[in-house]
Amino acid sequence: MIEVEQLRKSYGELTAVDGVSFTARPGEIFGLLGPNGAGKTTTIGCISGLLQPTAGCVRVMGHDVVREGTAARRALGVVPQEIALYEDLSAVENLKYWGGSQGLRNPQLRERIREVLELTGLEDRSTDLVKRFSGGMKRRLNFACGIVHRPQVLLLDEPTVGVDPQSRVRLLELVRAQAQAGACVLYTTHYMEEAETLCDRLAIVDHGKVIAAGTLAELRSMLAERDLLRLSGVFQPEAARAAVAPIDQIEVLQAEDNLLVLSLQEASRKLPAIFAALEAAGGEVRGTTLTQPSLESLFIKLTGKELRE
Amino acid sequence: MRFIWISTLKDLWRARRDPFAFTTWLAIPLLIVVMLNVVFGGGGAPVPKGRLLIADEDSSLASNVLATAFHRDPLDKMFVIEKVDRQEGRERIDHGEASAFLIIPKGLQQAFSHNQPFRLQLFTNPSQRISPQIVEETLSLMVEGGFYVQHMAAAELRSANFGAVYRRVMSLQKGPPLIELETQVIQEKKQTKGLGALFLPTMLYMSIWMIAGVQAGDIWKERMSGALRRVAVAPAGLGAFLAGRVVFIALVFGAIAFAGLSVARSMGGVPVANLAGSAAWAMLSGTAFYVLLLLLTMQSSNQYTAHVLVNLVTLPLALVGGCFFPFEIMPAWMAAIGRLTPNGWAVQQFSSILTGSAEAREVALALAGLVAVSALAFVLALRRLRGSFAV
Repeated sequence: MIEVEQLRKSYGELTAVDGVSFTARPGEIFGLLGPNGAGKTTTIGCISGLLQPTAGCVRVMGHDVVREGTAARRALGVVPQEIALYEDLSAVENLKYWGGSQGLRNPQLRERIREVLELTGLEDRSTDLVKRFSGGMKRRLNFACGIVHRPQVLLLDEPTVGVDPQSRVRLLELVRAQAQAGACVLYTTHYMEEAETLCDRLAIVDHGKVIAAGTLAELRSMLAERDLLRLSGVFQPEAARAAVAPIDQIEVLQAEDNLLVLSLQEASRKLPAIFAALEAAGGEVRGTTLTQPSLESLFIKLTGKELRE
Repeated sequence: MRFIWISTLKDLWRARRDPFAFTTWLAIPLLIVVMLNVVFGGGGAPVPKGRLLIADEDSSLASNVLATAFHRDPLDKMFVIEKVDRQEGRERIDHGEASAFLIIPKGLQQAFSHNQPFRLQLFTNPSQRISPQIVEETLSLMVEGGFYVQHMAAAELRSANFGAVYRRVMSLQKGPPLIELETQVIQEKKQTKGLGALFLPTMLYMSIWMIAGVQAGDIWKERMSGALRRVAVAPAGLGAFLAGRVVFIALVFGAIAFAGLSVARSMGGVPVANLAGSAAWAMLSGTAFYVLLLLLTMQSSNQYTAHVLVNLVTLPLALVGGCFFPFEIMPAWMAAIGRLTPNGWAVQQFSSILTGSAEAREVALALAGLVAVSALAFVLALRRLRGSFAV
């Protein structure tokens, strides 16, 4: 279990994490979703004991990560964002080293190496040097090194960055298997679809703060089944706002010279009225994107910007 | 403790995977030895014999017995005997062309048979150790034996009654010998060192100094790959990681020093008075260099500036500190400065241990200083790692 209470981490004037709180339970995949620079990696750093929190408290399996660091770290497995492997060693040698760093000894270590190589589909390449692996294989080995000691708590920091679709699917299956085996998994990502398909519960973070948290269903309900309509073209922002305001249950999320983002129900039915109103206000619509309710649209609704911006 | 060994193993595995670098590390000292060997000779030649020059001015039965002792087995396998006159013998021993020069002055037979004191003269070559000693020991034994015979059986010797001589010898309890062996060690005109011996410490430390710099820079690769961050969140931690790395470095330097010195001695003919001691010093001082350079490299903000900084420090220090040129061929002022540098100090200590001229107390003090500096640098490097470098 991971318990984070009012976590804050500052670097001088800059506050990277600002009062973040959440609890992730055993057997659960808890997602931290947010754009780059939102504070996800800093949060993971504080949980793993790599960074000293400025304020707040973090407990891993009941152990305070600051006061009982070693005990907390024994329960942890970390799969970092970067491929933290020795490329001039083989897969088995990497696993021996990282397993050894977690205190594993033979014959248990040997047995676990065999298991994780099989699990990640690398058993045929076990003695090959990592530098000869593809990006996806390196990612899988990176994951294997994080779980070789069967951690109770697994921290995954954007583990699928730069991975081909096939390897991504395999990695996500591996993550699910860890949770099914009883591990508490904290998964950070800026990929909406990953979070939607993988996570049991989520916290959406931006600028170091949790802006929404709950199960996927709870978060979707915050959108009240509204569509998201993005219109590109040439607009006069204030005139455009005023022009669409009379349309039934419409909400303007963003109005700029070349972009208009609207939240509304049954958007496709109301499109002719919206186009007419904007044209009357001197606007010109050149492109239209209609998005059904999703985490993406929730994020845009909450922050006024896209997740990948 | 276990993770220290695993970390050491990890670095040994990595070194094995980069055979070119590893071979280069070993090849540098070996290449130096081969170079010295080619230039100055010594490799593959038959085992050299000692050369004994004898000036027999007595030309008697007694002097002949003395001189022919060296023609008997096993001494005949160890020495080439040459008869010379006094002047030639002195000139040649003065020029170091022989192991020893024995003068048997006129009157030996007379003194021997009349139980009178007599003095033989032996000059030995100070640049050789074993051969002159054998000559000296052999002559001492012969002089002692001769004394007994002379003291109790001079009359029988004169009358050739050998049975009586034997009985007298067995019942003798008197001393001291009347015939004395006077040994003189020729004064060396100038203390000269072979070029191999001169360059060996320099070349070995050039290798060690450069490897220490390169290996210190390797910490940046581990940082950039994220491996340090991963170690930092493991229960074993950064202390064991760093200790393992230091053990690896010590093993590498120990192997290089031992191999280099062994080959220098066996193939290059470079005199190595204390192989184990000098290899141990090279290992410990090289490890200390590594920890100091590691501390230095971790002060930089990025890998590139770290590389530049280490080169800025190591190259000038190598130039003046006896890691490019021996102190003996430097201008005096430069050598004086160089001996004050950390590497220069280590090279000096190494040379003393190598030639066997170092006092035990002096070595112990130097060793204590080296260990203290290494320990301090280790603690500071670990603090830097834990502080922000690994993060």
